[in-house]
Amino acid sequence: MQTWNGQATGEIAILIDGTTATANQISLPSPGIILQLIVFGLLLGAIYGLVALGLTMIFGVMDVINFAHGAFMVVAMYVVWALSSATGLSPFLFIPLAVVVLFGLGVAVHLITIKPIMEAPQENQLIVTFGVLLILVSSIELYFSPDPQNYDIDLGSIAVGGAFIPEGQLIAMIIAVVAVVGTWLFLKKTMLGRAIRGTADNRDGAQYVGINIQRIDYLTFGIGAALAGLAGAAIPLFQTFDPFIGDAWLINAFVVVVLGGLGSFPGALLGGMVIGFVEVFGRFFLPGSFYQVVIFGIFILVLLILPQGLLGGGPSE
Amino acid sequence: MGDSPDTPIRRRSFIKYGGAASVVALAGCSAETDDDNGEDETVVIGSAHPLSGDFADTGTRMNNAINLAAMRKNDDGGIESLDGAEVEVIDEDTEGEQELGSEAANNLIDDGAHVLTGCFNSPVTNAAATAAEGSGVPFVISVAVDDAILGDSPRDYVYRPQPNATQMARDHVDTMPQVVRDLGEDVETAGLFYIDDDFGQSVSGALEDFLPDEGIEVVASEPIDFGGTADTQVTTFRDNDPDIVISTTYNASTQELISAMDNQDYRPPLLGGVANEAYNDASTLEAMGDTAEGTFMTNFALNPVDERADEIRNAFEDEFDQSFDANVAMSYVAAEVIIEAVEEAGSTDHEEINNTLSEITVEEHISAMPEITFDETGENENALGPLFQVQDLQDVVVFPEEFAASEPRL
Repeated sequence: MQTWNGQATGEIAILIDGTTATANQISLPSPGIILQLIVFGLLLGAIYGLVALGLTMIFGVMDVINFAHGAFMVVAMYVVWALSSATGLSPFLFIPLAVVVLFGLGVAVHLITIKPIMEAPQENQLIVTFGVLLILVSSIELYFSPDPQNYDIDLGSIAVGGAFIPEGQLIAMIIAVVAVVGTWLFLKKTMLGRAIRGTADNRDGAQYVGINIQRIDYLTFGIGAALAGLAGAAIPLFQTFDPFIGDAWLINAFVVVVLGGLGSFPGALLGGMVIGFVEVFGRFFLPGSFYQVVIFGIFILVLLILPQGLLGGGPSE
Repeated sequence: MGDSPDTPIRRRSFIKYGGAASVVALAGCSAETDDDNGEDETVVIGSAHPLSGDFADTGTRMNNAINLAAMRKNDDGGIESLDGAEVEVIDEDTEGEQELGSEAANNLIDDGAHVLTGCFNSPVTNAAATAAEGSGVPFVISVAVDDAILGDSPRDYVYRPQPNATQMARDHVDTMPQVVRDLGEDVETAGLFYIDDDFGQSVSGALEDFLPDEGIEVVASEPIDFGGTADTQVTTFRDNDPDIVISTTYNASTQELISAMDNQDYRPPLLGGVANEAYNDASTLEAMGDTAEGTFMTNFALNPVDERADEIRNAFEDEFDQSFDANVAMSYVAAEVIIEAVEEAGSTDHEEINNTLSEITVEEHISAMPEITFDETGENENALGPLFQVQDLQDVVVFPEEFAASEPRL
């Protein structure tokens, strides 16, 4: 019997247009393994959604593609880790602090680097945010060293019906859901949230009705950075990290944002789920890194067929 | 009728030609180059390693190992055949980036390096070796495993003391199953876990070719990306239930593998590794904990039964307050080979050093392998990756017996 990626195969006959052909049939793994894959798909999808939230917020309101998003995540990782290591206290205590720090960092970055070039061509903004990325990552590397690090925390996993749910990823998923709901409520129910939505819908119109666009911009960038910080602070709950890990998450975050719809929070979560499931099941059933072909194939397909994304619109969605 | 010495024309000509002659004479005096007589007062080793970026921890220690070799030679009186010429190390940061490999090599050559060494990352080493080859400067690889560096196109100036990917895989397949079977267990199936780059692909590809020779079927082959987790890969291993999971990854990815195994309460009967630095790093072994205990790993190694090797390890740790692992040991060995070649050549001329390297036999070195001598492709004819085992969370050579510091156990 042949094997492909360890799966037992057998030949079956297929009738195609009167011609008999043979094909290899891949047998399904056990239900326990399928359940495990579903669990990982959900967990990974939620984390991708969390990572994409801040990115979609900034782009939805300001039309700025923030290449420094991954670097913001890394700053949060090191804030939590450094404070937790220095004090001996649980890293959970410092996650909210990291969010606040990143809000401040986001506001500062916007005022110093983005605001002066808001009217400039978009490629200028890309280059500037890329520069911010390089500065932040290099600074972290110099100060903390490039060695991989971990939170000093002992999280296990929960066994459910033959599948295992790593506690770190479960907590990150809960954080993602809370972040999406919280951000949606903020945008729907608060004056500032409505102002942000209005600015995203019609920037000029918002200005005419008295909304302070510049204030909205820096607050939005700060909130986007804070959301990046929340994602960054959550990731080390289940993974080692180093100054360069932001890039790996950023690439898929861009795909999630486009897939879900630029500026859509539920879209970010939905897009994250799609990519998460494709990655998990693709890794399991497809050889090597072929799953990446599928992910970027979906990306291109969405751009062609549904350019506004699955739930595209603005932060009002 | 003729020009008198005092005529302007003759004076101008005299000044012109006399000045030109002076310049030529001065140039000849000040520009003492390798190609002139090969007798510099300083022997310059150019070291190209990742001093920043993902691999900076390992790269910095490797660079320090080369510096240590130079320091010890200088303390010993320098290069005797060059009247005590001192060994100097100049370095370039490759950042672990392939596009910087040739730039680093060229910068070192421009700065006067007589021999180059580097670079840890296989793609970077390939690029640097190409630059060295093009310039006719000898290059002794410190650490880089990919066969392609010396296999894809003939190189006359590049040498590799360590075993390459094929050799490492071959050594692992030749030794690990036999050791396990001698202990009363068997290995019939294997899962491969590898970093998805040249390094990981070359070693895992070689393992896939050789394992069936020992009656071992590869039932799963799972790559991991930089910065990725290993959850799905471990689920695949759970589904395929191999007797051994062999990993060829860097530090962080190996930790991800162990962490994912712990989360899924899964551990195969055996763990293996080929060229996996994580299993040679004390702090990483401690972080991985009991799950890593008993792992059988093939890598180049410091000779654990050689007193001089132990002395050098202690000297390194005292000097730099850094850990001395297999990569560091191999870098020191590369420097030993270079210094020996210059000593034998009695010259800093590139061609003379290169000719010496092509014929050299280095018997006194600190790695766990026989004497180092290079074949026509530049590979070490006697390259060997001994078999380690993680025992009490320490990496211990268990095979072959001449280099073993402990017995293997299950």
